[in-house]
Amino acid sequence: MADEVVRFSRVSKRFRLGAGHDSLRDLLAAGMRKIVGRRSRGRRKPIIRALTDVDFSVDRGEALGIIGPNGAGKSTALKILAGIIRPDYGEVSVNGRLAALIEVGAGFHGDLTGRENVYLNGAILGMTRAEVGRKLDDIVAFAGLEKFLDTPVKRYSSGMYARLGFSIAAHVDPDVLLVDEVLSVGDAVFRLRCMDRMNELVRNGTTLILVSHNLDQMQSVCRRAIVLDHGRMAFDGSSQDAVAHYMQAMSKTYMSHRGDLSDGGEISSDVELESLTFHDGKREGVVWTRSGKAITAIAKFTLARPVPKLVVELNMRAMVSENLVSINSGRDGVTISAMAGEQEIQLAIPGLPVRGGQYFWNVRVWDGDSGEILCDSPFRYPLCIDDGGRATGILCIDHEWSVVRSKSTVSIPKPHSDVGGDSKIREGEHENMPVR
Amino acid sequence: MRAQVTNHADSSMFDWLRYRHLLWSLTWRDIRVRYKQSLLGVAWAILLPLSMMLVFTFVFTRAVQASSLMAVDMPYALFAYTGLVPWTFFSMSLMGCVNSLVANRNLVTKVYFPREVFPLSCVASGFVDFSIAMAVLVALMVYFHMTGDWAFVIHPSLLFVPVIVMVQVLLTIGLGMLLGMANLFYRDVRQIAGVGVQLLMFVSAVVVPIPKDGSTLALILSLNPLVPLIGAYRDCLIYGHLPATGGFLYASVTAVIVFVSGWVLFRRASYRFAECI
Repeated sequence: MADEVVRFSRVSKRFRLGAGHDSLRDLLAAGMRKIVGRRSRGRRKPIIRALTDVDFSVDRGEALGIIGPNGAGKSTALKILAGIIRPDYGEVSVNGRLAALIEVGAGFHGDLTGRENVYLNGAILGMTRAEVGRKLDDIVAFAGLEKFLDTPVKRYSSGMYARLGFSIAAHVDPDVLLVDEVLSVGDAVFRLRCMDRMNELVRNGTTLILVSHNLDQMQSVCRRAIVLDHGRMAFDGSSQDAVAHYMQAMSKTYMSHRGDLSDGGEISSDVELESLTFHDGKREGVVWTRSGKAITAIAKFTLARPVPKLVVELNMRAMVSENLVSINSGRDGVTISAMAGEQEIQLAIPGLPVRGGQYFWNVRVWDGDSGEILCDSPFRYPLCIDDGGRATGILCIDHEWSVVRSKSTVSIPKPHSDVGGDSKIREGEHENMPVR
Repeated sequence: MRAQVTNHADSSMFDWLRYRHLLWSLTWRDIRVRYKQSLLGVAWAILLPLSMMLVFTFVFTRAVQASSLMAVDMPYALFAYTGLVPWTFFSMSLMGCVNSLVANRNLVTKVYFPREVFPLSCVASGFVDFSIAMAVLVALMVYFHMTGDWAFVIHPSLLFVPVIVMVQVLLTIGLGMLLGMANLFYRDVRQIAGVGVQLLMFVSAVVVPIPKDGSTLALILSLNPLVPLIGAYRDCLIYGHLPATGGFLYASVTAVIVFVSGWVLFRRASYRFAECI
């Protein structure tokens, strides 16, 4: 039985928007109204249910991701765990020393130098002066700020600021580390080092709870994740499944809100983009598919005039990157001569061999004769791809393993055959030395 | 089901002791930041009460003739300085406390530790300035002794000074917690406290002695615990005798009551700070 370090049982929290009275004047006015006996109707501050009956526990050395849309209650959950706010109902227990990185460099003082802030922030996160002193070199080296240690942090760039903040928290050696959406700062190299550091902490027995909108990042650190939606637990399981669940929920929400997005990116009034949907062979309008599975993209739009040489381009990209896929009818030598009116262009793709994650598509439409761009939509058509957790990297390509036994290269560990004369060595394993 | 939190958020009155490192760090930060980017630095701890002493000495001995000053039976500069040093400690610490939670909003909403640490560190950093200014008082005493304006005797009542400081500290922490907390909910408190502190200075025998003519006004003013407190400093430092028991006992009891009620109320409200700030 693994030991439980964090327990969050049936926790609920409500917030009243606009806490209480904002000034004494309001308080006095409210008091007067009470005395006069008039109820102020319609002026009640609305209540937000930030968390409702949220229930989970985390074992020692486990890394838990918390994902969910904005306002789902992720940060509230972390703040309750950290003890910053108290739940209305439910029980919370944390067993051991906890460090919370809810905002990078909270408590930094601009007038103090980097070194002074390391000591101050270390104390804020619960370290003694001697402890900080021992770890100072590691902290500074990790942040890569050796040269700027005696510069006031107000002269730091925001990246330097963030690096120092994360570095301090990563060296507290807590039993439980809470990290809230802080890794979106810093450059790519530093982000990778942060993830390495988090993985290292988890290997060494730290319990990690990570809130992130960067699902790839979350998945590379956490095996397990929960999905919060409107303050309720929507899912608890492996991080791959959690991401898939979240994506599907997000896409549904997206679909229901699509009417609000009036700007389709139409540049010319000659075209009105209606939709870009996906057909997986069974039904239209899917937002989720498996990596490598055949899928058809369907672009629908209306032309106000005939375009004899229409060029359509579909692009796909991941959340933060350049285009991964760009398919252009013009480059493919396909001539589309379109009449005015409704158009439906289909693009069949035998499979998208990319790693699981959330991808976005856009649609571009040209008039091939004049070169005029008629429409360039935002990347707002989502497609989630599930690779079953097989791939890391960018691609998820078809592959097959086979082991070809060979005298020269296979080195399967040798059984302890020196006891007794009965040799268990099979043929082909006599020689461990490479032979040419 | 009531909310139960069995981690640090639900701990005892003495929780802050575990965070004493933080208390020292924040105190050190306050001092460090106060005198950073200033030419004179820590010298301001001396210059502030010293310049105020000069201002009041000029006002009350040259510019206007206040009849109440007749009651001062020591060099006025000495009277003013012995009043101003503890007063500066009180008023600066108190105003620091009033602001402390709001000024550290970032920490209150982003990090957990016992919130008592904020007002405590304000008083602690005020104490550092107070100690420096007290050292100057010694120099001032030597000066007046040399010029023959006042004959000082080294008297065992000096040993009582730490007790007076203690009482003052309790009173300041208690008031500071009450007002700091109130300011978190209603920012008006800071403005009111600013005016209140200004007024309090003139009715606490800091630069003008309070009347002792038995009038109603004198009676009301004598309810102010700061009067016997500041008087006690002068008794021990200048006159060389222990303060009158009745007045000092009254100040001490008031200080303890304010301290305990301030601390208890602060603790009980502290878990709401992050939401209400």
